[in-house]
Amino acid sequence: MKVNAAPINKTLWTKGFKAGVIFIIIGAIVTLNRLINGLGAVTNLSDGAPWGLWIAFDVVIGIALAAGGFTTAALVYVFNKGKYSPLVRPAVLTAMLGYGLAGFSIVLDVGRWWQIYNPVLPGNWQGNSAMFEVAICVMTYLAILVIEFIPTLTEQWRKKETGFLKKISDFIEPVLNKIIMFFILLGIVVSTLHQSSLGSLMLLAKYKLQPLWFSPWLPLMFLISAIAVGFPVVVVESSLSSRTFKRKPETHLLSGILKFTPWVLGFYLILRLWDIVYYGKLSLLASKWGLLFAIEISLFAVIPIILLSLKSYKKDPSKLFTVSTLIIAGLMLNRFNTYLIAFKPRPGFSYFPSLGEISISLMIISILFVGYKILANYFPVLEKE
Amino acid sequence: MSINRRNFLKVSAITAGTLLGSSKKVSAETGKNSFAETYSMLNDCTKCIGCRACQSACKEYKEFENTGKNEKYDMPLELNANNNTVIKLYKEEKEKSFIKRQCMHCNDPGCVSACPVSALIKQDNGIVTYDKDKCIGCRYCMIACPFDVPTFEYDKAFPVISKCDFCKDLLAKGSVTECSRVCPTGAIVFGTREEMLKEAQRRIKADPDKYVNHIYGEKEAGGTSVLYLSAVPFEKLGMATLDTEPLPDMAESIQHGIFKYFIPPVALYGALGIYSLISKKKDSGDNPESGEG
Repeated sequence: MKVNAAPINKTLWTKGFKAGVIFIIIGAIVTLNRLINGLGAVTNLSDGAPWGLWIAFDVVIGIALAAGGFTTAALVYVFNKGKYSPLVRPAVLTAMLGYGLAGFSIVLDVGRWWQIYNPVLPGNWQGNSAMFEVAICVMTYLAILVIEFIPTLTEQWRKKETGFLKKISDFIEPVLNKIIMFFILLGIVVSTLHQSSLGSLMLLAKYKLQPLWFSPWLPLMFLISAIAVGFPVVVVESSLSSRTFKRKPETHLLSGILKFTPWVLGFYLILRLWDIVYYGKLSLLASKWGLLFAIEISLFAVIPIILLSLKSYKKDPSKLFTVSTLIIAGLMLNRFNTYLIAFKPRPGFSYFPSLGEISISLMIISILFVGYKILANYFPVLEKE
Repeated sequence: MSINRRNFLKVSAITAGTLLGSSKKVSAETGKNSFAETYSMLNDCTKCIGCRACQSACKEYKEFENTGKNEKYDMPLELNANNNTVIKLYKEEKEKSFIKRQCMHCNDPGCVSACPVSALIKQDNGIVTYDKDKCIGCRYCMIACPFDVPTFEYDKAFPVISKCDFCKDLLAKGSVTECSRVCPTGAIVFGTREEMLKEAQRRIKADPDKYVNHIYGEKEAGGTSVLYLSAVPFEKLGMATLDTEPLPDMAESIQHGIFKYFIPPVALYGALGIYSLISKKKDSGDNPESGEG
């Protein structure tokens, strides 16, 4: 595929960038506190509520929203829709940062982080554990995303006159071009595996998860919803970077890419509703949980399906942005529900995130934005205007 | 059985170059899963007077810190990282009962299935052991345990997961657990699971009016090593109402389905590759070049 991208080369030091840097500094201080004084010093986690905001938001939601990477790669490389190729590099960059940050959050969240490499050691392998699968796949996929991102770096470095970076880029690029398809396909497979495994994790919480969110089909539901949110994330990412870098919106690409989304959302909606009928959970809909379920499913599927069928929505970039935001909000609510809100803490315990936990999550979001901006500014990520 | 299962896992993982399968079904067929001879404890709530001697003995033997508000004693309301067993009181008008909470040492434990690094292991003697050198502290065991048992040191920079290990070092020396040794009323009895089940049945039969006709732990979540007798229905004592199906069954069968001999992922890879070639030919007008850069 022909890539025709260029660095932005504009000033980085804007208001939003400064705010991001401040959040990163605050988060770094909280990180130190967590490492020195333990999880209890900065979080509201307890024996009754062992997982909180970091797992639900930074890891589970972060990884779901990074699905833009493998869905776009599949669209362009497997289904060979070459016209969407300008969207691949930004999607890969977002996914790479997203997975990197999810990995960083895992290191902060696990109690014994200095042994974080333990799942890799064959003597510890535990194939019955979905957590083991997630650990291995997330590490593998992060490495694959870095490999997929390397051509963006080498393309820039090859333009240099001389130097180590130029030499190594001149060597790597042709080699990588020959084998990159292997990694792209592997990345897609690995993504489908761990996106579903994030749902499998909760299968062991059978007695703790509110039944409207518990289902033996959780792995499939998590996979389908991750696939569904992939392109909307690309739309939001593209709209935001158009605004930030004051570029023309890529409307023709964005309306096209959302053409597949209603079908995936529709399949997901049917799966969720079938699950409720088949497992006899209809009566639960007439409760506050039912209301929460209705809000979630409306945000994520019902309203977006209706809106995307309207003609006026296909050509207006701000409307495409709105509907994508709805889908993302619906997905986030689904993950929050499954991991926090509909998860029953031990008797006598409750959980609400602490300021320390929130500041770490803000740091994670900030690193994502600041990192994206820096890399897109100095390397050919976005399509030439 | 867990040892077999793990070895099988390792061997197959190495042969296939990856992870797969469990030998649970195999060992079930050979009858190794009866758990009759595994270590077991019978807690008779009707005999417990709430003296908490077991609680103190456990704390002393394990050299746990006193984290209570009072300097002299610790009065925990729930299991925590410094108390692997606690006595809880249930009281309602005329009804009253104590219950001793601790790790149930399940026959097929959710925590062992959850643990990504084999830090939690179901030993052949029935004990569910924990190895802090393997543990990464992800706390998935705490999410998975249907009895709300494992706890974690939130106030430590280098924390561990904490739960009852049946005083495994004492058992290895032929002794009994500290809690059962110090119990003054015979509320805590220790032996093999078969013996404890027989004893529980005998007690119910000898005094059917006193006990509810239910040995908690006989069948819950596939059965546990720790068994309970009570005069009060168990749900009132805060014991979860569970199916007889071992907790890991559903999760593991789904996980193994997805990874069956690694065929589904490899097949997906192949399908993606083939489709990619086909669609490239079809769309060659649209997308003449391939490869990055």
